[in-house]
Amino acid sequence: MAQHNLNTVIGFEFFRTVKKKRFWIATLAIPVLLAIVFALIIMSNESTSTTAENQKNAHLSFTYTDDSGLVTDTVATAFGGTKTTDSARAIADVKAGTVDAYFAFPADPAKQPVRIYGTDKGVFGNGTYDAVARQILITTAQQKIGSPQLTTLAQGNVTIESQTYKNGQVSGGIGVVIPPLLFLVIFYVIIILLGNQMLSSTLEEKENRVTEMILTTLDPTTLIIGKVISLFMAGLVQMLIFALPVVAGYLFFRSNLNLPDVDLSHLTLEPGPMVVGALLLLGGFTLFTGTLVAIGAVVPTAREAGTFFAPLMVVIWVPFYVVSLIVSDPRSLIVQIFTYFPFTAPVTAMLRNAFGSLYPFESAIVIAELFIFGFVTLRLAVHLFRYGSVEYSKKLSIRSTFRRGNHA
Amino acid sequence: MSYGGAAGEPLVRIRDFRMDLGNQTIIRDLSFDVHAGETFGFLGSNGSGKTTTLRALLGIYQPTDGTLHIDGKTFEPRDGARLGYLPEERGPYKKESVLDVMAYFGRLKGLSRRKAQDWSRVYLDRVSLADKASTRLDKLSGGQQQKIQLGVTIMNDPELLILDEPTQGFDPVNRRLLMGIIEDQKRAGATVIMVTHQMEEVERLCDRVLLLKDGVAEAYGTIEDVQDRYGGTTVRVHHSGALPASDLYDVAVAEHNYAELALRAGTDEADILRELVRSGVAVRSFTTARSSLEEIFLRVYGDQNEPAGG
Repeated sequence: MAQHNLNTVIGFEFFRTVKKKRFWIATLAIPVLLAIVFALIIMSNESTSTTAENQKNAHLSFTYTDDSGLVTDTVATAFGGTKTTDSARAIADVKAGTVDAYFAFPADPAKQPVRIYGTDKGVFGNGTYDAVARQILITTAQQKIGSPQLTTLAQGNVTIESQTYKNGQVSGGIGVVIPPLLFLVIFYVIIILLGNQMLSSTLEEKENRVTEMILTTLDPTTLIIGKVISLFMAGLVQMLIFALPVVAGYLFFRSNLNLPDVDLSHLTLEPGPMVVGALLLLGGFTLFTGTLVAIGAVVPTAREAGTFFAPLMVVIWVPFYVVSLIVSDPRSLIVQIFTYFPFTAPVTAMLRNAFGSLYPFESAIVIAELFIFGFVTLRLAVHLFRYGSVEYSKKLSIRSTFRRGNHA
Repeated sequence: MSYGGAAGEPLVRIRDFRMDLGNQTIIRDLSFDVHAGETFGFLGSNGSGKTTTLRALLGIYQPTDGTLHIDGKTFEPRDGARLGYLPEERGPYKKESVLDVMAYFGRLKGLSRRKAQDWSRVYLDRVSLADKASTRLDKLSGGQQQKIQLGVTIMNDPELLILDEPTQGFDPVNRRLLMGIIEDQKRAGATVIMVTHQMEEVERLCDRVLLLKDGVAEAYGTIEDVQDRYGGTTVRVHHSGALPASDLYDVAVAEHNYAELALRAGTDEADILRELVRSGVAVRSFTTARSSLEEIFLRVYGDQNEPAGG
């Protein structure tokens, strides 16, 4: 019967969550936003590419002086340049509009700026001068080097593949870090998007006065667990929908979006960090859910619940203020505190787990701590709901619920 | 699950129940039984402790002292499949459809989804809400929502029905409809505990009653027992001539050629008739009647204001 009721609660709560308009507004808002951003990026990239190409190949009528002696007449002429030695006259010609621009190449273009005097062609049109001057120097440098290979190297266009070792075994580098970090992403998505629903999940029974009918039909533990599981399921649905445009973008529009060419075959799923990441996610989810449900059981209205919600949300972002320390110096005091303080532990420990700085004994302690605190807060939430939810219009005194319990 | 119960054992048994909230004692030394198959009126003014007692019986409150048993044990939600409880403070899941909510509670009471939906449709038809099955509950009127709640309560034909103010907020037509539904449950063998301020409903439906005053049982027994103890007998007389003043009775109602006389202690109807005849009153008719529960209620609680809460 308990299993039947749990399934019933999960089904009812899940379907009424996903049937709500606001669920789909929140869920679809992010993919729609991403799709819009992707479309803008594609359009912008195409436009930028065209503009840059046009600017690069633009033939201007310009004069130039060259104190460096690097610029050859051939290159400059190819871009429409005419050498001059009288910079004052050249500037006067620009002002008079007889030439488009005057470029003053300095003695050391690597250290000194190239000065450009041009007729105004608007914010975007003026970019042509910069592009042409730059391209003249690049072409000149390429000619001086005289080797396409060296030119490529000089431009830093190189590919490096590194292999590192840990305990004598090949370590996976960034390919090992990414998979466990996904648990952190899941944690944030679920808590941020569904935290409010967790908070208000038991409030609805209170505000609608359904509590007493529920409490005489259903064990409160079954109700709370059913709600938590259904919210988790709703969170997974949301994440799948969020992931769709990212996956589509990666598969079909990778070049248009300038996405880094990540070779997924290089991602390594190391069992240890993956299991620890999954347990940290579950423990953290349990703790935060238990806390939010307990708050919902204590306060009489959603409005009052909001007072407690904001600080809890702040707490899960706090570890990011020290993310550089978490990565570079995990033994520092602040990182240690964040690792073991229950409400900062999930994020801090998941980051450290991904970067390989969470030792096994630390993992064990944090996971145990999260599950113990999570279990205690869930029990507390059930207790408060059972004995506090009939205090319909007033804030519950937690102490009074335990006083009643003593008389049992 | 079914309430088996040993033969002769009450289905509901409350002994020495005391409930303290803070420094205040809400209920003290309350004991009563409700037997299987009977309809029990649990009466009292607002704030007398009725709802608190029901909540303690159903495990929503933990009692300070005493035992509250249903079918020989403390109630637990897993026994709720055979219980129908309509609380005083009640409401539905407002954003869901009527049928979804009814099917949900039906499933929690052990029915399959199909059976719960079929039962719900039959019930909705009976209470003239068949066309509202797909309507969200917050789109219904207060009275319509109450009908849905009653439907959820009596779903799966519970063996024990606990109804806290079942007809509050109903117009007379719907009140009659709902009382008919409750009577059907009673005829089907359900034990009913009913809190209500509608005394005519109590007289019509209840086998026994308990009057709670300030957390103490003021009266307990069959309606006749209570009437005998608290109401006594009223004499209705159609007469000619002036009624004499007398130590035997108080004049409760005096109209032209008609009077209702409340008997004083130690007096019987024959004494009054003799007194009237001796005084020369022409008695055209002389009948006796017990005091109504409403009269008794007013007598017992008449000195109380109406504090909030149950």
